[in-house]
Amino acid sequence: MPELTYRAAVKQAIAEAMRKDDDVFIMGEDIAQMGGSMGVTQGLFDEFGGERVRNTPISEMAIVGAGIGAAMQGMRPIVEIMYEDFMSLSMEQIVNQAAKHRYMSGGQVKVPLTIRTQGGAGWSPGAQHAQQVEAWFVGVPGLKVVFASSPNDARGLLWSAIYDDNPVIFFEHRLLYPIKEEVGEKLEPIPLGKARVVREGRDVTVIATGPLVHRALKAAEEAEGDGISVEVIDPRTLQPLDVDGLVASVKKTNRCVVAHEAVTRMGFGAEVVAVLQEQAFDWLDAPIERVGAKFAPLAFAPAMEQFVIPQPADVLAAVKRTVARA
Amino acid sequence: MSSEVKLPRLGQGMEAGTIVKWLKAEGDRVEKGEPLFEVDTDKATQEVEAEVAGVLLKIAVESGEVPVGETIAVIGDEGESVPDKSKPAPEAKEQPSEKAAPEPVSETDTSGGSHSDKSVTSSPQVTNGGRVKASPLARRLAREQGVELGGLKGTGPEGRIIAEDVGRSESRPEAARPAAAAVTDVPQPAGGGEAEGVEAVPLSKIRATIARRLTQAWQVPVFQLTVSADMTLANELVGRARELNPDVRITVTDLLAKVSAMALARHKDVNVQFTEEALLRFRDANVGIAVAAPTGLVVPVIHRAERLSLAETARARTDIVERARDGKLTQRDLEGGTFTISNLGMFGVEQFTAVLNPPQAAILAVGATKDTPVVRNGEIAARPLMTMTLTVDHRAVDGAEAADFLRTVKTFVEEPALAL
Repeated sequence: MPELTYRAAVKQAIAEAMRKDDDVFIMGEDIAQMGGSMGVTQGLFDEFGGERVRNTPISEMAIVGAGIGAAMQGMRPIVEIMYEDFMSLSMEQIVNQAAKHRYMSGGQVKVPLTIRTQGGAGWSPGAQHAQQVEAWFVGVPGLKVVFASSPNDARGLLWSAIYDDNPVIFFEHRLLYPIKEEVGEKLEPIPLGKARVVREGRDVTVIATGPLVHRALKAAEEAEGDGISVEVIDPRTLQPLDVDGLVASVKKTNRCVVAHEAVTRMGFGAEVVAVLQEQAFDWLDAPIERVGAKFAPLAFAPAMEQFVIPQPADVLAAVKRTVARA
Repeated sequence: MSSEVKLPRLGQGMEAGTIVKWLKAEGDRVEKGEPLFEVDTDKATQEVEAEVAGVLLKIAVESGEVPVGETIAVIGDEGESVPDKSKPAPEAKEQPSEKAAPEPVSETDTSGGSHSDKSVTSSPQVTNGGRVKASPLARRLAREQGVELGGLKGTGPEGRIIAEDVGRSESRPEAARPAAAAVTDVPQPAGGGEAEGVEAVPLSKIRATIARRLTQAWQVPVFQLTVSADMTLANELVGRARELNPDVRITVTDLLAKVSAMALARHKDVNVQFTEEALLRFRDANVGIAVAAPTGLVVPVIHRAERLSLAETARARTDIVERARDGKLTQRDLEGGTFTISNLGMFGVEQFTAVLNPPQAAILAVGATKDTPVVRNGEIAARPLMTMTLTVDHRAVDGAEAADFLRTVKTFVEEPALAL
């Protein structure tokens, strides 16, 4: 089985879709000759040319707006927003246009648009280039939201996002680009709305997204040494959410921790906690714990940045609180 | 015309049941076949359906234990008067509900004028404005088992009662006997209260059943046989089977259930039960799997496992194990077993002896697979070995028969293709 980095997995999904289908094209800032600021689209310009791998002006509103227009005309565009922090500039297009046209036209118009973006802290990019803003979009009916944590998931989920007839926001994480994983020879689409049990366990379920999946796995290994068996689940798709999968796991372990790199307050985890207490209340043996960034802008100073974002030790501490005895 | 609802006999040997809750209230309309109430037998909690349609005129026994055949409710026509003969069962023990818990005044009132019954809460609880602090799961388990939360000591953070305090701590199969013994051996000080440092945990229904059945099993003359099997091919097969059946997680336990059933089909003399009158020999190999459910050890059964494929066995096992953990097993899931497998390999246990699961004649205790140096063709090689210890009822099966059966199991485990 070939090994693929997360970065190469994203590129492979884009390239294969573009080879298969002339309707698929990509545009964004510096994505053509330069190959994108994170190097994800390197080589696509040489293979597909400037017609289908298009550089854009520095206007997130225009990038998404043009993507919506092309999608409404029957294309399957992929647009890249260089940093998810800059999604704020295209909110009007995403929230009021992309998410609404299918509904408001009574289904006459579809918007099969994929908006790829990346972000995340851990490399000192400062307060405006490292936020995790996925929760902004999970509350908008009409959008789908994906956050892949592994090369396999990135490839299979991006494929499904491209071929979904609804606008999908596809979050990538800066620190995950170099991670490697064995993947199948053939690209297998992964359906949106299906969680993945990353590690099986008995005592507590950690529901984690993006980089926190990996930090939760570290915490789980340490917990194992203390005789605590941790299950790690990655929802992978935040909207639609695999409620059944998450509830089943929590019913099995009776304890739960939700973990993401985004700020805890009003984070995606808050929604998960609410859903679990609605559907698994009588199975809970401890309060559900939340792990996320502290409520502060991200610092530029590395030590302070690390202090703000959640670490494996934070997940481990939360896990231990759920199984604590007086 | 009104008709009385009597507690039905839901399985062989059921003499009484505990009514957990009513799913209809007095005055509600009830259709025939609609779930009417939940009853806890010593095997499972299950819903009982109404046998006639009408209006639930009266609930005679709200909750608690009643003998089979006792009238517990009356269903009739709207406005019909209830005949007075349906007296509530005198021996029905009222199940404590949270509302019936003693008022907090007994703990907080220091005026000395309280006449509340302090004896009900022998060990005072951490309360929060009079409310006992317990996790939702602990509350549900207590409700289902008829355990009064007020009588428990919370070991969770800030004294919260958690599931383990209600009964989960005794759910590991091997902990079953010692735990049951420990509680009955609690030394009682002369004053009649609890001894210092000792906590008397009331026996849940399932715990009492485990204790009774295993004590019964302990009186049977048994012998044990141990073999170890080379798991090289078995592991390969399980790996391949998983690839071919991605929708179900096939495990070594499934392979063991399957090959044990095949071996039982060949060794009918082991697929038996001893009774004083006759030796019962069974056509089907119904393999029970020991499961550590939250409330205690249960052994749901995979029926006619000799006829199932490996993937079907895995599906059946997943289904019963999940329902065992959710407390959703029915009487049928627990009946008819002719053989039991108890696998503690996942805990790293290398070898152990299991206690018989009466009235069955044999139980297989499975340990962890471990790379072990063995001599093959004059050379030392590392092979994955797994130990299996068969406990056998000697009244029913002799040593040579059992050894022959175990050899077949070992052969099938080592070369699963031979089980075909």
